[in-house]
Amino acid sequence: MTILCVLVTVGINLIMPYILRLAIDGLSDGTLERADLWQYVGIYILLAAISVWFARKLRWYPLKLSHRVEYDLRRDLFAHMTRLDQEFFRTERTGDLMTRMSSDLTIVRDSIGQGLLQGLRTLFALVMASAVMVWINLKLALLIFSLYLPIILFFFIILTIMRNRQKALQEHLSDVSNFAQESFAGIHCIKGFALEKRRNGLFEALNRGLIRKTLRVQTTRQVLWPLMAFWFTLGVMLLLYNGGKQVIAGTITVGVVVQFLQYLLYMQWPLLAMSWVLSLAQRGKVSWKRIKELFERQPTITDSQETDFGITDLDASIEWKDVSLEIDGMQLLSDINLKVPAGRTIGITGPTGSGKTLLVSLAARLMDPTGGSVRIGNTPLRTIPLDQLRHHIGMAAQESVLFSQTLEHNIGFGIDIDDKEQIRWAADIAHLSGDIETFPEQYQTILGERGVTLSGGQRQRTAIGRAVARRPKLLILDDVLSAVDTQTEAAIMGKLQPVMQDRTCLFVSHRISTLRYTDEIVVIEEGHITQRGTHDELIAQPGYYAELDTMQQLEQQMEAGE
Amino acid sequence: MNAPPKKRGLAGRLLRYAMPYWKALLVSLGLILVVSASINYLPVLIKQLIDQCLLDSSTSAELRLDRLGRIGLLYLSIAVVGYSLRYVQGILTAWIGQRIIYDLRGAVFKKALRMQQAWFDRMPVGTLMTRVTSDIERLENFVTEGVVGTVADLFMLLGIMSYMIVISPHLFGVLFLLLPPLFALLVLVNRRLRSANRKIRKRQSLLNALLQEDLTGMTTIQLFNRETHARQQFDERSTSLRSAHYEEVRWFSAYFPVIETGQALSIAIILGAGGFWLLGRGDAVLTLGALIAFLAYIRDFFRPLGSLSDKAGAFQVAMASAERIFELMDTPELLPDPEQAELGKPLNDTIAFEDVWFAYDNENWVIKELSFSVEPGQALAVVGATGAGKSTIVNLIGRFYDVQRGRVSIGGTDVRDFNKADLRGRIGYVFQEPFLFAGTIADNISLLNPDLTRDDLIRAAQAVNAHPFISALPYGYDTILNERGEGLSLGQKQLMVMARTLAQDPELLFVLDEATASVDTATEQLVQDALSKLMHNRTSIVIAHRLSTIRNADCILVMRHGELVDAGTHGELMARDGYYRHLYELLKH
Ligand SMILES: Nc1ncnc2c1ncn2[C@@H]1O[C@H](COP(=O)(O)OP(=O)(O)OP(=O)(O)O)[C@@H](O)[C@H]1O
Ligand SMILES: Nc1ncnc2c1ncn2[C@@H]1O[C@H](COP(=O)(O)OP(=O)(O)OP(=O)(O)O)[C@@H](O)[C@H]1O
Ligand SMILES: [Mg+2]
Repeated sequence: MTILCVLVTVGINLIMPYILRLAIDGLSDGTLERADLWQYVGIYILLAAISVWFARKLRWYPLKLSHRVEYDLRRDLFAHMTRLDQEFFRTERTGDLMTRMSSDLTIVRDSIGQGLLQGLRTLFALVMASAVMVWINLKLALLIFSLYLPIILFFFIILTIMRNRQKALQEHLSDVSNFAQESFAGIHCIKGFALEKRRNGLFEALNRGLIRKTLRVQTTRQVLWPLMAFWFTLGVMLLLYNGGKQVIAGTITVGVVVQFLQYLLYMQWPLLAMSWVLSLAQRGKVSWKRIKELFERQPTITDSQETDFGITDLDASIEWKDVSLEIDGMQLLSDINLKVPAGRTIGITGPTGSGKTLLVSLAARLMDPTGGSVRIGNTPLRTIPLDQLRHHIGMAAQESVLFSQTLEHNIGFGIDIDDKEQIRWAADIAHLSGDIETFPEQYQTILGERGVTLSGGQRQRTAIGRAVARRPKLLILDDVLSAVDTQTEAAIMGKLQPVMQDRTCLFVSHRISTLRYTDEIVVIEEGHITQRGTHDELIAQPGYYAELDTMQQLEQQMEAGE
Repeated sequence: MNAPPKKRGLAGRLLRYAMPYWKALLVSLGLILVVSASINYLPVLIKQLIDQCLLDSSTSAELRLDRLGRIGLLYLSIAVVGYSLRYVQGILTAWIGQRIIYDLRGAVFKKALRMQQAWFDRMPVGTLMTRVTSDIERLENFVTEGVVGTVADLFMLLGIMSYMIVISPHLFGVLFLLLPPLFALLVLVNRRLRSANRKIRKRQSLLNALLQEDLTGMTTIQLFNRETHARQQFDERSTSLRSAHYEEVRWFSAYFPVIETGQALSIAIILGAGGFWLLGRGDAVLTLGALIAFLAYIRDFFRPLGSLSDKAGAFQVAMASAERIFELMDTPELLPDPEQAELGKPLNDTIAFEDVWFAYDNENWVIKELSFSVEPGQALAVVGATGAGKSTIVNLIGRFYDVQRGRVSIGGTDVRDFNKADLRGRIGYVFQEPFLFAGTIADNISLLNPDLTRDDLIRAAQAVNAHPFISALPYGYDTILNERGEGLSLGQKQLMVMARTLAQDPELLFVLDEATASVDTATEQLVQDALSKLMHNRTSIVIAHRLSTIRNADCILVMRHGELVDAGTHGELMARDGYYRHLYELLKH
């Protein structure tokens, strides 16, 4: 279709001047009648109309196509993102990902749309013009062609340099984007420490780098057009000089030279446009590579051949068998052997950074252990389809990530949003109903990004509600009562009790006051399980737990004694 | 939000950013003129060459060869000069454009950082990122090539128009009649383009806002099986962006055809009119030569017109972005610094809340009629149920928000009379949410404060017991953290931000908002001890849910639903048998 458009447009553009010439010839000969004149004018307008229609399509198709490609790519990229695992998002920076998904995508789109549009046209024109030249005078044609050989080589070099610089530019753009993302996301901290000046200074440096790199690209890109144009004039001169000598010597006629000149002139614009198309294509290539890099990242946590898609139901017992975990050469967990029968609640405690969060993350398969295996209902996690597994898990992470939507939406995140009753129930369990009643918009309150317009405790409780609302078989609560006061803590524990009784529950906490509600307590120190038992058993033996208890007791006594 | 700024105002404001570079702009313009003059002279030379060397068979062959050589040389040298200058001009123009973009980008970023916290609470990060990245990029094209090119095209157009008038005023009159409808059409297309571009910018922002949020919360999305939903939502916004793009393409691809139609129609009509005149009374009005020449110039007339309209397209894109950018620039800053702030006023003084009423929005009071004061050097503890308004108090002291009624003062000076940066720079904050920057651990503790040595950092880290885990990392203090410190445990992050605040050695005031909520008890006690040493003689405010962590407080405030329910020392409160006692009993099971 596009090609047809090109043919028609180019063809009509060749005919139109011819009509004009007929009319003018007629006028100068005096042979033209008035009726003929109107006829010529009529035909001219008709042709123009057709040409315009096609010309519009000619732009319309490639551009539209390019937008469709952009849309498809973006959709696929995002879909790909939703499959990548926690490790990916931990190490990649949001600003960089966003740059690839916007700026790079735009460049690819433009190079497709404009490239197709201009590229096709210029290619056609070039081929046609060269064919005609060869047909008219082979020798002169060869002369012209040979002239273009070195410049092609030269172009190649410049384009290579440009590609490297363009790459550096896009990378720098990612840096700027990262910096902006971080500055806006951490604005409270920046304001709190009055870091605005320093941030501005850093941004300025990045910004300066950006223009420097842009200019570096420009210094190569700007070469292309003048160079091409100059080379072209060189060609014209060569033709005239050589042709001129031949004319003077009488070997060829002036007509041939002039005609040749015409075709050379006809080649001028396509050639110049070509330089533009090439630089566009080069930019597109760089960006495409960056996008492809994202596509090539494969999640390690994913369904694989091992996955048994027949599994639809799970028995909610969990077992860590000889589990060890090593990241970046650091042994973070080792020799973890732990079995939690269905329906039991396990309390997990231990010093800061001992591996509690990692342990429960393994159960939700946010990462895979480097040694041993985790099983749920005696099935290794790796064979359970990921969405099945997650379906049965309700997890409230240590740092709650909420979304800038309504409270209702956030609590009902893992369930059918229309199930209002369930949402109310979950809010009640999380002891959130009282707070929600004080909000003017109640459940329809729209939160700020990450839930910033809630208080710390409200955020945590929303996350608890979100996890509970799914009525999961396996409930994972990672230090989720750290930001609530003692009274609320007690109230939540009271309400959570019956909920936890029905399901397997992993409960991470530093507080004896909450750990005592659990069936069994596991102490993790430096990645090892050092103690396990009930509250009473653990108090009785020396170790971390007993010390913890003594310390917390002591605190209370000190206060009471004052 | 605000109404979009006026178009003329916009272009004018953009131009203001170009003003500092007016000299370079003039040079660039001069270069353009020289370049186009010299490049346009080349065809004249060719004609000369053909006429004088090839066609002129009356002169001798040697002379013609000689001329051929001479004109050829002239031709080449003009070409060399012309195209080299063209290159120089291209670079110069790019440089000017980049400078303008640089200024603008910096200004937008600075402006954003000056905005009040309440604005950030509601502004998606992705949207802000769009302002300093892609919105600016859209402007870039136009500023770099558009401005200078437009002026050059206008010159060209004027020149050709005057030629045409000289050749045949009559024909020009006919042509002139054709122009208004053409322009009207172009204006129409332009308007559509503008509105399409507006939509594009808006929808792009929305898409980026969603993208940013989803990317940062992807693990949560996956945990709750929301991938499909997230994809759908993304797709919705992406589709709506695409349809805005389609709309733009529709009008954009109408652009050139309109110009081409204009050109074809003009040629046809001029031909008709000219022919009519020639055939009618072939004498007075015009000659055939004039008609031919005029027809030739019509092409030249429409070329800059076409390129102008091309730029008009880029202009529309740029204006849609400029609108968004200036909208941000025009957003009023609601918490401006006072004109004459007292800098460096000592903070180690009484902090007082006097009848303070505060709401984050409207009259939804979060703090109601709160009054209290902390004497210099004293430590105040705030306890109370979650959502009672404790963090809000902290925010009010640093003037992140302004109170609606009453006043917050430090040493008798209203916080509104302080310079915000000066005030906050000297308060040692530890916020409830530990925020770490991507960068080395050392930089995160020092916050790039040049006065801090590595020893200072280590000392601070040791004080809060962060040193052991930091030194256990493969690169120690030079370990580069991921975004938001991902990969550290929450307790470790909390220790890091404590160390950061200690290292800053805030002049006098400490404000800790549940600084150790997720830290184990032994470490917590260590931190408490370290802090109580530091807080000695410094006014401080501590928020905590654990009564154990506030045992050193000189005074305890008990809050409920934004109101003060009780105040006093631990002993007093216990004796009073009120809410506090109740809280305390709960803790003791
Ligand atoms: N993705 C990761 N890459 C490298 N190291 C990690 C990663 N995640 C955690 N760690 C390290 O593993 C250790 C255990 O982390 P984890 O988050 O499990 O601690 P935790 O017991 O939950 O601590 P806290 O009580 O502070 O929450 C820490 O030293 C932490 O720095
Ligand atoms: N930025 C905000 N915009 C609107 N409302 C807010 C904002 N921050 C907090 N709130 C609301 O103000 C009230 C008090 O919040 P605040 O953060 O002061 O509570 P808090 O006492 O610190 O609670 P917590 O112990 O849970 O941290 C809450 O109801 C909360 O929803
Ligand atoms: Mg709080």
